[in-house]
Amino acid sequence: MRLEFVGEGPALLVREEIRVLAVADLHLGIESDMARHGMHFRSRSKERMERLEACIRKKKPDLLVLLGDIKHNVPVTSRQEYIELPEAVSRLRALVPVRVFPGNHDTGIGRFFSEEEILPREGGIIDGTGYIHGHTYPAPELAGRLIISGHHHPMVNLQDEVGCSLRSAAYLHVPLEESCIGFSKGGEGGRSRVLFMPAFNELTGYDIRKTVQDPFSPLSRCMKTGEAEVYLTDGTYIGPLSVLEEHGRDREA
Amino acid sequence: MDEIEKLDPRIQECIRKRGFAELSEIQNLALPLAGKGKNLLLIAPTGTGKTEGAMIPVFDGMLRGTGGGFTALYITPLRSLNRDMLQRLSWWCAELGLTIGVRHGDTTASERRRQALSPPDLLITTPETLQALFMGKVLRKHLRNVRYVIVDEIHELAGSKRGAQLSVALERLVQYGGEFQRIGLSATVGNPREVGRFLCGDRDFEEVVVDVTKNLDISVEFTGDQFEKQAQWISEAIDLHGSTLIFVNTRVTAEALGHQLFSRGDVEVHHGSLSRDVRIDAEERFKSGRIKGLICTSSMELGIDIGHIEHVIQFGSPREVSRLVQRIGRAGHSLHETSRGTILALGFDDLLESLVIARRAKAGEVEEVVPPKNPADVLANQVAGLAVEYGNISRQKIREIFSRSYSFAAAGSLLDEVCDQMAEHRLVRIDGEYIINTLRARRYMASNLSMIHDEKKVAVFDMVSRRTVGTLDESFVVGSIYTGVVFITKGQLWRVLDMGEGRITVEPARKVKGELPSWEGEQIPVPFAVAREVGSLRRTRDFESYHAGGEPKKFAGQFLTEMDRNRSIVSTDQLIVIEDAREGIVCNICAGHKANEALGRVLSVLLSARYGTTVGIELGAYRILLRLPGHVKGPDVKELLLGLEPGHTEGILQLALKRTALFKWKLVQIAKKFGAIDQDADYERLSSYKLTELFEGTVVQKEAYRELFSVYMDTARAEQVLEEVRKIQTAVETGRISILGAEGLFSSRDMIAPTSPDQAVISTLKKRIENQDIILGCMNCRKWKSKTVVSRVQENPVCPKCGARLIAVLKPWEESLYAIAAKKEKSEEERSVELRLLRNANIVLSGGKKAVMALAAKGVGPEIASRILATLAEGDAFFREILKAERNYIRTHRYW
Repeated sequence: MRLEFVGEGPALLVREEIRVLAVADLHLGIESDMARHGMHFRSRSKERMERLEACIRKKKPDLLVLLGDIKHNVPVTSRQEYIELPEAVSRLRALVPVRVFPGNHDTGIGRFFSEEEILPREGGIIDGTGYIHGHTYPAPELAGRLIISGHHHPMVNLQDEVGCSLRSAAYLHVPLEESCIGFSKGGEGGRSRVLFMPAFNELTGYDIRKTVQDPFSPLSRCMKTGEAEVYLTDGTYIGPLSVLEEHGRDREA
Repeated sequence: MDEIEKLDPRIQECIRKRGFAELSEIQNLALPLAGKGKNLLLIAPTGTGKTEGAMIPVFDGMLRGTGGGFTALYITPLRSLNRDMLQRLSWWCAELGLTIGVRHGDTTASERRRQALSPPDLLITTPETLQALFMGKVLRKHLRNVRYVIVDEIHELAGSKRGAQLSVALERLVQYGGEFQRIGLSATVGNPREVGRFLCGDRDFEEVVVDVTKNLDISVEFTGDQFEKQAQWISEAIDLHGSTLIFVNTRVTAEALGHQLFSRGDVEVHHGSLSRDVRIDAEERFKSGRIKGLICTSSMELGIDIGHIEHVIQFGSPREVSRLVQRIGRAGHSLHETSRGTILALGFDDLLESLVIARRAKAGEVEEVVPPKNPADVLANQVAGLAVEYGNISRQKIREIFSRSYSFAAAGSLLDEVCDQMAEHRLVRIDGEYIINTLRARRYMASNLSMIHDEKKVAVFDMVSRRTVGTLDESFVVGSIYTGVVFITKGQLWRVLDMGEGRITVEPARKVKGELPSWEGEQIPVPFAVAREVGSLRRTRDFESYHAGGEPKKFAGQFLTEMDRNRSIVSTDQLIVIEDAREGIVCNICAGHKANEALGRVLSVLLSARYGTTVGIELGAYRILLRLPGHVKGPDVKELLLGLEPGHTEGILQLALKRTALFKWKLVQIAKKFGAIDQDADYERLSSYKLTELFEGTVVQKEAYRELFSVYMDTARAEQVLEEVRKIQTAVETGRISILGAEGLFSSRDMIAPTSPDQAVISTLKKRIENQDIILGCMNCRKWKSKTVVSRVQENPVCPKCGARLIAVLKPWEESLYAIAAKKEKSEEERSVELRLLRNANIVLSGGKKAVMALAAKGVGPEIASRILATLAEGDAFFREILKAERNYIRTHRYW
């Protein structure tokens, strides 16, 4: 299996028998929620979907896997979502078959996708690789595999010598403590590990270090953080978590 | 006395009762003109009867006119001035049978209701509360009665966005009852014509000027740079002169000086951070003579009446001529009396600056007040105001109102741009020609009456102790706080882990090198003209012409002699000196804060692009410190300066500013005025770099640039300096750090990052490689291996056993491979491992430490490492090659 980091997404092209394009956390409808919190911007769903369609056209996948949180508002579906989602979904369908692993924001998603398109919230295996949104305990069949997960919106802050920083969406690749997550040892014979994908929605991001210190999901609570690796959206290898954590500390006087 | 006799007899009676034997100069000049209904700009110092000069003719008109509530509006910039005016004018109104009221933020609801039902004839108010009058249905009706508008301390308003807002409000007022008489009261300004235009637009007006500068008696003193000595000097001066105002430039200085002089028992402190009661008490005690000295900040510049002042001391350079004239103008003033003041200079820069400012004050060379032109956020605010006022209003009518105001006379297509942007944020709706009110607009106006920005406090939450440790100002948070940064609050260091949900999450941090974020909002910039004249005084050393006294002359002379003795070159108005210092490079340029701000940012952005590092800048009126890596030297900066194209300044700055603290902060403020962000919104939820992207190319961003380029820095003057360098009117020299270059505090700090964002990535990569665990193994004797980290490896690693330099570099998980190398008998597979290790060691032999670093990278074996080394790339370029190789590996490897 090979992974291609599609920086324009961020998206991930997973190649084995077929080409699977994985995208996480679109959060269409985020603008109406922002308005409720006092930030009034027009919807950028159109630009977001155009970006996704461009990735599909460029990478020509056989399947598009949406790793949950396609919509944003819970528990209700907002007006913005009722208006925007049907069109967005049908445009994707016209390009490529779509599968959805629903996320915690995807209440009422059945209205927009067919039964066949919606896969279990606990995740599943496609072409040998595990996929899940990441807010639930994973299905036992995912044990011993690479699991690609959304939900965590990883983002990093990197600093140079003088203290200027770069904030960027990022991937976090990390083995799982199998007993913690409830996997019987070595399902497929391999180690169970997760690749947390950044959110496709450009307006959100959680600092990876915060997630490590304050885990908020079964997967993030069961990470072997000592073996974690951080990548940027274009596949640039940043290093182990310690590279992020030790920032500033090695500058101690 | 003729003029008095023309007045209504009741007013003549009042004047007699007040015991005015004769009218003051300004009153005599103003009365006949004001009586004819002319628009007026009265320019005179505080305490010369300026207010009465305006109000006597207005009262006269009010008595003759038909009256009605709100016949006259008296507008001042401050609530405290409102109260003072209420006291002064109540007597007149009572005598004349007129009603008077005050309305501002502190006015109670019941008082407001009473005013709506029976409005007072004379209303004292602030520009912001005037905005509110347009919103109330009942209040609005009374606006038809307005015949007189008096704007007090107009010089304080004209140069700001508050003023631009007021200039529109005055035109909105005209829509109700037609034209009214406008009277502006101002301190001395360099451009009275323009201030008059600001008040009146295209209407005719007259200026009435009482020249204060001729009656100023200013001296400059110096008593060393020790704070205790300076305080002692002030103490003696208070004893000598009696009632004394001591002006300082910051609140911190006010407190420090107050602390030093506290034991005298007759000195108090007065500044904006103190509660109203404390301030009023200090004012009262000074007025009644119970205390002799009052230490104050600009809070005392405006015309609050505190009785007779014998002497004014300015502690440190006043920075601006207008400030000095206003401050010293507070002394003296029974008619024609001189105002006596002394500047106590605190250091070399400060002394020369004080001498220059004193000369300019006496010569009447006061700074100009520059009204902002077409500030888009004020436009948005006033369009929203009009939508609320009228329900719906045509663009044509809006344009008509704006075009009469001085600030927006040439707004052009900006209005349409602003309306579209507001519609995008759903603050108003647009229906063809019409701008239509929304529910949000009404709510928006209620929290956006003012163009002064309200500062929110953001809580700081400690993850470790799980408690809130304090709060930070919003401006500081927006500007300087991002995840990972270390800052100080409550005397302790904290590292930011996360921001959002209205709070900042931190953990305790230990000491870090480099500057910590700091916020200094109180600094007063030194104008270009003053800084240049300081430069010319450094060049001519003609202290005689500046009437410098014994101590100042002696100190300045010694300082310059010391410079000469050290063979240091003194930078002047015609000479820029670039000096190498330990912290970086000091560019000595006598151009004032704002031009240096522009120059410093342009230089640092170009340097950071050229050398690929972040550049820290600190600057003041006479120098710019660029914090640079040691290998960049003075001549490099000189070369850059000489090659700068003056016309490119703004373009470079636009790029440079985009990633700065200041820009983000401005953007948020302006976005709020466009209704994009509510006043109470928790926008930290959106990381601010994303926020700046949302406004890319919009009128909001344009306004942020306009304001930064006109208020925070002076690009025009910066370009002038560069032009002079190009024409060799200004020479550029280099040298070692001098006592002059090392002088002085720097007023603002910032970091300029390279425009390519990969600096942080490279920096992280370096750190990762340096900390990478590796195994070194000798491929000669094959008897030595050692576990270490890259940073500890020498330039050319040597085997301690056999002395050979044939050392292979292995990742920790490859350690077992080394045992294979030592085997006597090898299988074919083992043979190939041995060959790889030999290749590996050969690369280290030829490439040294660089090869070690390459081999420590992820997925880099001997083949890739030799390819990286073959590029001969050095420094950052070398690390970029490593990044490229790693990316390639990640794309092709199969084991995830």
